[in-house]
Amino acid sequence: MRNVLTIAWREIRAYFTSPLAYVVIGVFLCLSGAAFWVHLVRFSQYCLQYGSNPYVLSQLNVNELVIRRLFGFMSVVFLSVIPFVSMRLLAEERKSGTAELLFTSPVTTTQVILGKFFGAAFLLVSMIGLTLTYPLLILFSNARPDMKTTFVGYLGVLLMGLAFLSIGLLISSMTENQIVAAVGAFGAFLVLWIISWLGDSATITLADIMNKVTFGMWDKLHFGMAGPTLGDLLRKLSIIEHFEDFSKGVFDTEHAVFYLSVVFFALFLTQRVVDSRSWRG
Amino acid sequence: MIEVTGLTKVYGDRAAVDGISFTVGRGEIIGFLGPNGAGKTTTMRVLTGYVPPTSGTARVAGFDVQEAPIEVKRRIGYLPEHPPLYREMVVRPFLRFVAGVRAVPRKEIETRVDRAIERCGLQQVAGRLIGNLSKGFQQRVGLAQAILHDPDVLILDEPTVGLDPSQIREIRQLIKSFAGAHTVILSTHILAEVTMTCNRVLIINEGKIAADETMQAMAARGERTRRIAVRVARAADGVEGQIRAIPGVLDVRREDAEDGAFVVEIDGARDVREQIAARAVGQGWGLLEMRAMTRSLEDIFIGIIRGEAA
Repeated sequence: MRNVLTIAWREIRAYFTSPLAYVVIGVFLCLSGAAFWVHLVRFSQYCLQYGSNPYVLSQLNVNELVIRRLFGFMSVVFLSVIPFVSMRLLAEERKSGTAELLFTSPVTTTQVILGKFFGAAFLLVSMIGLTLTYPLLILFSNARPDMKTTFVGYLGVLLMGLAFLSIGLLISSMTENQIVAAVGAFGAFLVLWIISWLGDSATITLADIMNKVTFGMWDKLHFGMAGPTLGDLLRKLSIIEHFEDFSKGVFDTEHAVFYLSVVFFALFLTQRVVDSRSWRG
Repeated sequence: MIEVTGLTKVYGDRAAVDGISFTVGRGEIIGFLGPNGAGKTTTMRVLTGYVPPTSGTARVAGFDVQEAPIEVKRRIGYLPEHPPLYREMVVRPFLRFVAGVRAVPRKEIETRVDRAIERCGLQQVAGRLIGNLSKGFQQRVGLAQAILHDPDVLILDEPTVGLDPSQIREIRQLIKSFAGAHTVILSTHILAEVTMTCNRVLIINEGKIAADETMQAMAARGERTRRIAVRVARAADGVEGQIRAIPGVLDVRREDAEDGAFVVEIDGARDVREQIAARAVGQGWGLLEMRAMTRSLEDIFIGIIRGEAA
């Protein structure tokens, strides 16, 4: 554990002694701040407009119309910002030769990877944490957002960010070129993002696929031909689908488990990739 | 301290290191000598656990690098060819970080860092960014990170490459000061470096060990005279035959470039210079010059690399 913390601490220092952390956090705060302001202004216009109609007024919800949209926007900004956080993690070590220092020190590959991941996660947490000021800013106004719903949304944003970060780390372990790592991570995020679009067109059921690859054995053994379609499966893999409930303020363990599984699986693969230099020539 | 047996490392279809074996005792400083691409760096990387061997074993302080990598790494200080430095870090925090990952007890970190800074002469740059230091100071920071945790074994890959002559001398002094307390393996392709710092030399060429000798044995090779240059004023026709008749002389050649100059090849066990001189005086050739042609270490090294019997 001490090794993990030592490496994580160095990583945090590296982020905050270079302009990278400030640029990334600055861009993220500017964009999400602007989005928050736009939605807040629109919300107050609605309130003025329908102020005389008590029924419509009761339907206007600050969580629904401002904070939920803020979360939706943050997830889009993550797509383009997180690759720049994760790109240098392992690629830079390999390029500059410092990997030789780390991997000839008495630390395990797992400790190195966890240290790197926690270091980057710290940057992510501080970035998201700073945006907590937005809902707090309007907490004591008449809008009065529901903080429980807001925190569930933040938990979702954090989990999604960690999932992105772990995938970015995986891609950073595969190359020594940081730009390749960033573009690769961006591509991977987009694929996981839009994979649910295929959901509607892929109407073939999984049972049907199994039947085809087993040359009809599936049906003959009466395993059943009903069940989920390929589209349903792909939709479950989409990073954004699992975010929907969180942004509404609904906590469902299914989604939390999904994100944590992505993190675990990506870190596991990273460890395999880094260790693969022991059997690759 | 270090035992390597049958170590082989294959990259693709090329064997960088091909079945080498050697041992290094505690407190020895051995020089790992060979031309570029001979397999020095690969051997060192295997010893430090950075790359695994294709076959064969390497043990450090009794621990196998494959089976107990953490135990081995705990006992090794390693300076790769390109010093592994985080350019954006300041010297002192960098050394503190290295002490952390090298498992130095938390309470001792400050004193160890101070000692490494002092030993490597980094006092005046301790507060500067590593990226802004000169190559010589960067090399010293590299050396400081290798000796921080007081390792039993110190592995230095070409520690003086790219330094100016006075820096080279300082680094060599530093390495010499590690003798006794640490076992040092030093790789280089500069022979003089081995002569000045090491007590044993291991010559490696094309992945194989070409020679493994103490510095004295190496120097003795050069001392053992096998050829004698002779020059006489009046070189009659029978001179070669007369000299060849002396017991212990294997061959006599007339040097074409110079009149009356001969090279006498002798059996290394016998010194026949006296007889040659006596014969020259007796026959009235007029002996002008006679000298033993000793070979420099450089010649021996090149001879070994070329595969000539020395």
